[in-house]
Amino acid sequence: MAAPRQRAAGWGRWVCTAAAPRPWRLFGAMCLLRLPRITQPLEKEEEEMAALMGQIELEKSHYSDHEIRKQEEEERLRRRKESTYDDDEAPGKTVIMAQDLEDKWEQKLLRFEAAPRITDADKNNDRTSLNRRLDSNLMLLVKQKIGNQELWLLPQVEWQPGETMRSTAERAMATFLGDHIQAKILGNAPYGIYKYKFPRAIRTEDNVGAKVFFFKAFLQSSDLSQAELKEDYLWVTKDELGDYLKSEYLKKVSQFLLDL
Amino acid sequence: MGVGAGSVRRAAHRRQREGAMLAAAARGFCGVWAAPGGARLSSRLPQTVLFRGSHWQTSLLAFRASLPVRAQPKKKKKVDPRREQAQKDRMKKKIKKLEKAAPEMIPIEDFVAPLKYSDSNRVRSLPPLSFEETERRVLLMKKWCLFKQKQDKAEKKAIQTLVEAQQEALKELRLESEELYQAAIRRDEGLLPFERDGPNYTPPIPGYDPPEGKCVDITKVYTQ
Repeated sequence: MAAPRQRAAGWGRWVCTAAAPRPWRLFGAMCLLRLPRITQPLEKEEEEMAALMGQIELEKSHYSDHEIRKQEEEERLRRRKESTYDDDEAPGKTVIMAQDLEDKWEQKLLRFEAAPRITDADKNNDRTSLNRRLDSNLMLLVKQKIGNQELWLLPQVEWQPGETMRSTAERAMATFLGDHIQAKILGNAPYGIYKYKFPRAIRTEDNVGAKVFFFKAFLQSSDLSQAELKEDYLWVTKDELGDYLKSEYLKKVSQFLLDL
Repeated sequence: MGVGAGSVRRAAHRRQREGAMLAAAARGFCGVWAAPGGARLSSRLPQTVLFRGSHWQTSLLAFRASLPVRAQPKKKKKVDPRREQAQKDRMKKKIKKLEKAAPEMIPIEDFVAPLKYSDSNRVRSLPPLSFEETERRVLLMKKWCLFKQKQDKAEKKAIQTLVEAQQEALKELRLESEELYQAAIRRDEGLLPFERDGPNYTPPIPGYDPPEGKCVDITKVYTQ
């Protein structure tokens, strides 16, 4: 872990030591994100613009086959009503008009029922379910015991010598969610860091504080029924993070979370 | 009669040995009918042998019984392979010419408007836009421009913060240990290509039974 660090003698504060262990304890934390399943609602400007684009497209377009057929049939109907000449076509022949087709399609559309965008979990504000807030990113928060406090944190475990930080984060995820979790970790490098010093009571020469390295991962599997969640857990969006995290921690975490 | 003989002679040059024999037989037959003047052909039967085409023809109905062993068949053997070889060379030359020509461009179907859509009856007839409408459109475009600019700036700022946070984390990691840092900045081969199904407008219906059917792809595939 500790590589020999040579510092110039002129840098007074730093002591030239060959292999002294750093006084920071290392932790690896995993920020597991469930990506959005539905599109976000459009803003007012976006809706207006979409309407305008549709109008311009209609103006620039030509008639399609269906429209021409509809026009011809309307023309024929009109002529039949106005003048009283004999029908050209045999009256026994039943012709499907374009208008009838349109009505049929409309009926079919009205009969179809899509799944609701605002789910039951949204209505009950059940923050432990994954089915809530389908249009934004959800991340996992667990309650962990740090020192003698129970805090809501991103799942983290202490780093063991001999493993990379990424594997520490993977271990953290496996500890809280079980082994059968399918997540795509975005790269080997950490996304953020939270550094804190222990309270003076437990601070020693060798144990000044802790550094928590955050890694990001996308949740691939949609159902977590197999996951054995031992502790209290929550799935929250970025704006709900403020309800649970401490201010300094929140500041560092929200730096690497995109607004969604 | 003269015409018939001439055509038979030409035929004899073109055709093979069997063909020449047929021609000889025909000559013999012509000779038979020519005697009475060609008037009543059907009633005369070749009972009397009046005329023989050549001294090689032993019977009228049979073709040449004895095969004259002359240089002619040997001549044909030489000419045929040469002719065949010449034909093959000509085909090969044609193939080479075709191959040398530049390959035909594959047409992009989307860029070619089918002719049936350029009819005049297809043109939409709409009332011209009013002044208020054009004004509204121009103002909306300007608002949209501003909206998009703000959105883009916010995105770039977010990416900038992301990068800065990562740089800070890597700096701290380096301070801790060099080997952890080296492990962290190594490229992750399994990350790209990254695939994801985009978000839809509504979530999937649980337990939905899609209708039966087979999707047949009828896109035209061009090969070069």
